Amino acid sequence: MALFGGKTAGFREAKGDLRIVEVTKSFGDFTAVDDLSLVVPRGSFFALLGPSGCGKTTTLRMVAGLEEATHGRIFIGDTDLTGSRPYERPVNTVFQSYALFPHLTVRDNVAFGPKRRGLANATTLADEALDLVQLPHLADRKPAQLSGGQQQRVAVARALVNRPEVLLLDEPLGALDLKLRRQMQVELKRIQTEVGLTFIHVTHDQEEAMTMADTVAVMNHGRIEQMGAPEALYDLPLTAFVANFVGQSNLGMGRIIDSDGDHYVADVQGTRVSIPKARCQVSSGDVLFGVRPEKVKIAVSRAEAGRNDIPATVVDVSFTGVATQYLVRVPSGATWSVYEQNLDIDPIDLHPGDEAWLSWKPGHAFGVPVDESAIKVATDAPTTTPTVAVGPVTASSQGPMAGADPR
Amino acid sequence: MSALAHVAGGAGGGTDQAPTERGRSWLPYLLLLPGFLWLAIFFVFPMIQLFTVSLQSQFPGYPGYYYRDVNFHNYLDAFTQFAPHFGRSLLFAGLATFFAFCLAYPLAYAMAFKAGRWRNVMMILVIAPFFTSFILRTIAWRQILADEGPVASTLNALHLLPGGRITETWVAVVAGLTYNFLPFMVLPIYASLERADARVIEAGGDLYANGFTTFRTVTLPMSMPGVLAGTLLTFIPAAGDYVNADLLGSDRSTKMVGNVIESQFFKVPGGFPVAASLSFTLMALILVLVFVYIRRFGTEELL
Ligand SMILES: Nc1ncnc2c1ncn2[C@@H]1O[C@H](COP(=O)(O)OP(=O)(O)OP(=O)(O)O)[C@@H](O)[C@H]1O
Ligand SMILES: [Mg+2]
Repeated sequence: MALFGGKTAGFREAKGDLRIVEVTKSFGDFTAVDDLSLVVPRGSFFALLGPSGCGKTTTLRMVAGLEEATHGRIFIGDTDLTGSRPYERPVNTVFQSYALFPHLTVRDNVAFGPKRRGLANATTLADEALDLVQLPHLADRKPAQLSGGQQQRVAVARALVNRPEVLLLDEPLGALDLKLRRQMQVELKRIQTEVGLTFIHVTHDQEEAMTMADTVAVMNHGRIEQMGAPEALYDLPLTAFVANFVGQSNLGMGRIIDSDGDHYVADVQGTRVSIPKARCQVSSGDVLFGVRPEKVKIAVSRAEAGRNDIPATVVDVSFTGVATQYLVRVPSGATWSVYEQNLDIDPIDLHPGDEAWLSWKPGHAFGVPVDESAIKVATDAPTTTPTVAVGPVTASSQGPMAGADPR
Repeated sequence: MSALAHVAGGAGGGTDQAPTERGRSWLPYLLLLPGFLWLAIFFVFPMIQLFTVSLQSQFPGYPGYYYRDVNFHNYLDAFTQFAPHFGRSLLFAGLATFFAFCLAYPLAYAMAFKAGRWRNVMMILVIAPFFTSFILRTIAWRQILADEGPVASTLNALHLLPGGRITETWVAVVAGLTYNFLPFMVLPIYASLERADARVIEAGGDLYANGFTTFRTVTLPMSMPGVLAGTLLTFIPAAGDYVNADLLGSDRSTKMVGNVIESQFFKVPGGFPVAASLSFTLMALILVLVFVYIRRFGTEELL
């Protein structure tokens, strides 16, 4: 036994911020993660959002040491973890596929980490962790005798019980029903703040990312498109991809034709609109203009001065209780959506086929560079564009974000 | 097994599906029928036949002539007279199983996790020996191990062979058994390793287990069904084997029960009842051993 050292031989007690420095991962000639740099402050909750196959799991696996980066380095605090083995890292993973040990009971699964660390109270810790995920009654079962959601919670408990410096959660709540998911979100957030762990949380649920995370990063094609506080990310997308992926956006292709004080003036397919310079990522030429659906007002007649407006034809009206969602066709042919909160007693008298006016404060508009995905969004058919939400939208504090399908 | 029963019970218990389930309940029996008939004709009948032979007595003074009897003395005689052969059979089979395991596990592990595109080639290499006769391959081994052969002469030159020869010793018999049953050990272990989820093994590393500890606590337990199947598939036929002892062993010191049964049946006049009772004794011994073994090491899938 001495040959293999003590139980925690090689374990590296690193503490501090997680720093991913210029990390690239290639599989053959395919680049899954492309020159990624990232600092996650110690004790913060970091959410990673992105479409399927964009490299989220690969990033986590490199942090865990399960995959070796082709280039770049990974640090926790000042400790360089690049090249060290997974068992040496103060990092635990909740695997996307759970990866529970099939031959061990639920309790032994959860106690596995503490036992390897040589902790005498491993079983007690395991039972506490199982309490936390509300599964104490299943401790003696084997994983095969659990439902998918129960297995997922065991996987969370098995990683969490170690209180690692960095906890990697790869879609850890995806198999849970809404109520349980909310409870688990609260639990995770509580533990994260209480113990001061760094969480990296991969999720397809934008609302989850927005409500739980201090910082959200949006990944696409192995790169981080944008990173920031949830509010900032939603309020001011920097790329067309983020504008579409995080929440919904009404978009239009245009050209910057003039500058007016702290605003640019753009011509969006015949309509003149202003974009604050601070909110516009391009200063001349082609621009993709955007405004969030809840920032747009719909009315039968033209709005007062000081707002930008555009005529439109109502395509669909859906009443969702708190709000009403209108789908309208704008002159460019694109479909926009508009959320009106139902504040007045009399509803706005608009029906499919009616002519209406859309208006918004110029300060809410944003402009992003035109790229491939922008062209696709601004010109494609209404049914496939993300600006069209099909069916009623769940009411929530996040407004248009709920029910949006990130895929 | 318990999980299986659980599922089956659950499906049958569905109230609205119950009638259709019942309507199809003959199907499993129909599927069982051909195999069942086959076994009844070619296994159960001969067993009964063999059992009656094992209890027959000889006509005094007429070697080779028997009459129907219930003579349990045959068993006593067989066991006392051939106890060393039983011991040798179990010992050789046990050794062969052990060595086959030691050779097969790393091989299966390499095939499952390290072979990459060579995996299929290795698989063919493991199976290829079956393309030629078992007897011929064993005879080839006799040449390999022969006194003037490469192995024995090398060892002799190095003064590493105490008896001066390999053939006609237990070493040759165990080597032959190990060789002949190796694929039966490799394939089930490979199958269970290959089925193991790579993520689960990674999870061991993620949870602070180093390579060796992960192997001991995760990989090996997960492959236990394969190990169990492999050891049984090796031990049971090896214990009853007589070809290896016949071709590679000597006349006296390496004879196994299989050899005794063979010679009692075909060479010794009047040996039928003894051979039959030896067969039954061997079967009973193996059954007991296997039962104890499965009880001790068995996984739920096998019991
Ligand atoms: N071992 C591998 N060999 C080759 N390509 C791989 C390998 N692992 C991942 N990839 C590729 O790398 C890309 C990123 O994969 P990754 O698993 O990180 O995606 P993801 O963002 O986690 O997606 P999802 O949301 O579907 O889980 C994918 O295109 C995938 O096909
Ligand atoms: Mg993934």
